[in-house]
Amino acid sequence: MAVRPVLSLPAPVLKQAAASVGRIDDAARALATDLIDTMRASPACVGLAAPQIGVSQRAFVIDVTGHKKAVSCHGEVVLFDPEVMLAHAPEVAREGCMSVPDYTGDVVRATRLVVRGFDVDGRDRVLHVDAFEARAVQHEIDHLDGMLFLDRVSSHHSVFRRKTYR
Amino acid sequence: MPHFAVSAVGVDRPGIVAAVTGILVGQGCNLEDTSMSILRGHFAMMLLIAGPDGTKAEELEAALTATAGDLDLVLTVRAIDDTVPVSLQGETWTVSVYGADRPGIVYEVTKLLADAGANVVDLTTRVIGGADRPLYAMLLDVTLPPGVNGGDVRDRLDGLAGSLGVDCSMHPADADVL
Repeated sequence: MAVRPVLSLPAPVLKQAAASVGRIDDAARALATDLIDTMRASPACVGLAAPQIGVSQRAFVIDVTGHKKAVSCHGEVVLFDPEVMLAHAPEVAREGCMSVPDYTGDVVRATRLVVRGFDVDGRDRVLHVDAFEARAVQHEIDHLDGMLFLDRVSSHHSVFRRKTYR
Repeated sequence: MPHFAVSAVGVDRPGIVAAVTGILVGQGCNLEDTSMSILRGHFAMMLLIAGPDGTKAEELEAALTATAGDLDLVLTVRAIDDTVPVSLQGETWTVSVYGADRPGIVYEVTKLLADAGANVVDLTTRVIGGADRPLYAMLLDVTLPPGVNGGDVRDRLDGLAGSLGVDCSMHPADADVL
């Protein structure tokens, strides 16, 4: 159990494709705990992927509980080796990332998504998510592929300063 | 390191950015925040740069003018404060205003926003369409301080747009940090 530092660019691990986790063992469960603890340490944080805490493995946590743009809400979700099964109804919205200081950007994401992965007990889990929860899942899965929202913005006119400047 | 604001404007052609930044690199300067774009066929550059200790604005301007002279650029260099000021914090809203071109659209809209306490953080205007029926389009990102209701500002903007004979829309643009 530990709150780990959240890495930001230009940390190389953020641009690497993460390795699959495979068997869900104690080490994987410890990673899940660290992800949850680190997410909880930042009140505004609704999701975190393992590469953001320096672990190049395919795992993330999200929790969109209470978010004003959330429609579906599965509470705290940890998924290992997630795969998008179905994605449709794209929509543009502005997002930022704890690992990209200062900037936000307009990014197209599917608003309806079926995602599959393994939970902390190694059980197969299929989630139907939409709206903000779908955006959060796609943002985290991008981290597992070494992709940041900066790689997804449609043009440089879609990149903006975040509210806090330095 | 001393900081400078550099501006350069000239008829657009390939090589302007490379020419100007090449001189700056040669002077040991580092580009920080910049904005460069074509405005009605002219390329306009605004650069905030850091220079080596002892750099003088006049010397930098002379170096730029001498070397970039062929490009016929209007150049200025001014020393600025090294500390980065913090702009007003609050909710971000995006505003678009468009309609038949007429004098005063930017003034009227930004006056209303300023009176409401809103801070413009980004603004672009373009005259689009044919010369016979020019259309004016303005896009802004504004920050509203705590306590200012975006919906109220939008209602007042709608009223103003009606009296100016233009269309406008305003919507929240706050980013979700994931």
